Amino acid sequence: MMLRTHTRKSRRVLAGATGLLAVGITVVLSGCGAGGGAPAAGADSITVLVEAGGHGELQPIADQFEKDTGTSVTFVELPYDGLYNRLNSEFSSGSLSFDVAALDSIWLPTFAEALTPLDDVFTDDVQSDLFPALVTEAQVEGSFVGMPAWTNSEILYYRTDLFEDPAQQAEFKAEYGYDLAPPTTWEQYSDVAKFFTQDTDGDGQVDVYGTDVKGAVETEWLATLSQTGEKNMVVGDDGSVSLGNADSLAALDFYTSLLPYAPSGAAQLDWAGSQNLFNQGQLAMMRFWAHAYKQIPADSAVAGKVGVTTMVGGPGGVAGVPGAWYLSVPAGTSKQEKALEFVQYAYDNNELSVDTDLGLASRISVLEQYQDEPGYENYKPLIDTLNAESTVPRPANPNWQEIVDSALIPMIQKAVVPGADNQQLLDDAKAQVESIIE
Amino acid sequence: MNGLETTRVSSRAILWVALVLLVVLYGFPFLYMLFTSFKTPLETIAVPPTVLPSTWTIENYASAIGRDGVVASFINSVVTAVLSTAISLVLALPAAYAVTRFRTRFGRFFIVGALVMRMVPPIVIGVPMIGIFRSLGISDTSFALAIAHATISLPLSIWLMSSFFEAVPEELEEAAKIDGASRLGALWRVVLPVTAGGIAVTAIFAFLASWNEFLFALLLTATRSQTTPIVIANFQTQFGLDWGAMTALAVLYSVPVILLALVLQRHIVAGLTAGAVKG
Repeated sequence: MMLRTHTRKSRRVLAGATGLLAVGITVVLSGCGAGGGAPAAGADSITVLVEAGGHGELQPIADQFEKDTGTSVTFVELPYDGLYNRLNSEFSSGSLSFDVAALDSIWLPTFAEALTPLDDVFTDDVQSDLFPALVTEAQVEGSFVGMPAWTNSEILYYRTDLFEDPAQQAEFKAEYGYDLAPPTTWEQYSDVAKFFTQDTDGDGQVDVYGTDVKGAVETEWLATLSQTGEKNMVVGDDGSVSLGNADSLAALDFYTSLLPYAPSGAAQLDWAGSQNLFNQGQLAMMRFWAHAYKQIPADSAVAGKVGVTTMVGGPGGVAGVPGAWYLSVPAGTSKQEKALEFVQYAYDNNELSVDTDLGLASRISVLEQYQDEPGYENYKPLIDTLNAESTVPRPANPNWQEIVDSALIPMIQKAVVPGADNQQLLDDAKAQVESIIE
Repeated sequence: MNGLETTRVSSRAILWVALVLLVVLYGFPFLYMLFTSFKTPLETIAVPPTVLPSTWTIENYASAIGRDGVVASFINSVVTAVLSTAISLVLALPAAYAVTRFRTRFGRFFIVGALVMRMVPPIVIGVPMIGIFRSLGISDTSFALAIAHATISLPLSIWLMSSFFEAVPEELEEAAKIDGASRLGALWRVVLPVTAGGIAVTAIFAFLASWNEFLFALLLTATRSQTTPIVIANFQTQFGLDWGAMTALAVLYSVPVILLALVLQRHIVAGLTAGAVKG
């Protein structure tokens, strides 16, 4: 009796499994995939591969492009690391699923050989409306391979409620002998960071820090390196590695000298962590990408109390790291003409990206057009920082990502540990970079 | 209370403490994710972090569900996982049965080969698949992704089912044959019902392997077949991290597999025990 019951139940399970198979086969036969829209397989459509965060910047352009040309644009969004892996896989397999890709600037040298030259698009007029660093960055071995869709740079954020407080102003003047204002030099930045590292509620614990020190990212330190006047960012055009020289030591020394005025945990602090600290009112100042100005939550402790200005300068003057994303056309796409048309259209209609989540553009004329409008206060500091003489792009080296991951970030993370030997760390990193680019 | 009862109570108390510890250790990350999904945007990024939300909100769920492509990705995940499970079972059942019942040198080589395939890094298989699926005209479909996922679950399914078939005495099949059943008839009427628990376990593992898979989905899907793990990862961008919506979607994505495990837990336990003891 029990055996019969067991067998009946088992058959029911089997029948269920069979049903499952039937459903599966039915789905296969009926063609599968719920889809997020039709694939861009038709003649009047193109597919654009983007990082998830960058999709919003291009959507208004794509919508207008479809209205004006009848060509629809389908976006494939992937996470940042995933996008790199996907590009790598598709280029190496020779089988492409996209017609245009939005590439991080540091990837251009890596994929340059698989991209269509855009030299015809980069007319003199186009070049004169782009920041010099971006024009340099878009070129790999003498050929333009990407058109900047939007650009970014670190600028200086500060809390206006602290800087404009008369009591703080008087106390600062008494202590340092000059007026409290957003700093423009390393010395001023250090003074202000020290001054604002305060216990504001009287419980004996510091609750506001003057600045942050990011140990888990490299671009913040690279900007500091450029502020020394160093023109070869880590790797020169001739393959020489500048790590370990006087400028790189000065940059690392200044970077780590701010540790006493920053929250603990610097070694693990990345962009997201820094942004969170600032938005919660725990930092008086922050050096951060310009887009963050638009992302301050309305319920944030600092909402409505944030000022922005040009990035600070070191012995070599003001400098930031250009953080542009470029539209590129793979050489292997069968829709070359439409893809190139879209790239040109995106440049011509760059202002459509201004009113989006990140609110960034790439053309100087577009940024200048909006710089005096309310809500776009971050544009002027962005323009000034990107136009600064010491602002240089990251090296056009195909191994740059590996240099960052294997040498630069580990070096910075070790340097932000108190008592670190900065010169030794730079020398070690230099040897490592040299072995990577050999 | 005599000594024996005291010992019994102490053992039970230790067991409970161990169980609670285990549940807390394993459950805390999920609970933290669950609580985060109900926090306000600012509280999700609080430093230091809070465990329980000070204000409960479902805003993150609305934001996650309302995002373009989320619902479609969920359907894609279901379709892909069901297809992948079906492919794995259809191929693993006869393969495992043949290897178990016809003990040949090739069979032994095959079963070891299946294990070796399980150890091949997925990226090695994934890149060639891009071109293969494209030339077959099935790129960016759930079917193609299901085939890719089957390369992960099939070796495991064959191994699992081999151990379950091994546990079924051949005398049962002999008896069925004496009663007039063919070999296939004996397999269908006797062996498969007896190993139903094992099949359920195998199906669940195959389903989970597909449901949680990321790399193949990253390489092989685009607009039509993108699955939810990719969409969840998309909440982290170079320009920010939407913790609230990301955790909300992760919670929603966990629900079906938690329910599946709860509904089929009897088969899972029975199947695993059978495999462990008799295999």
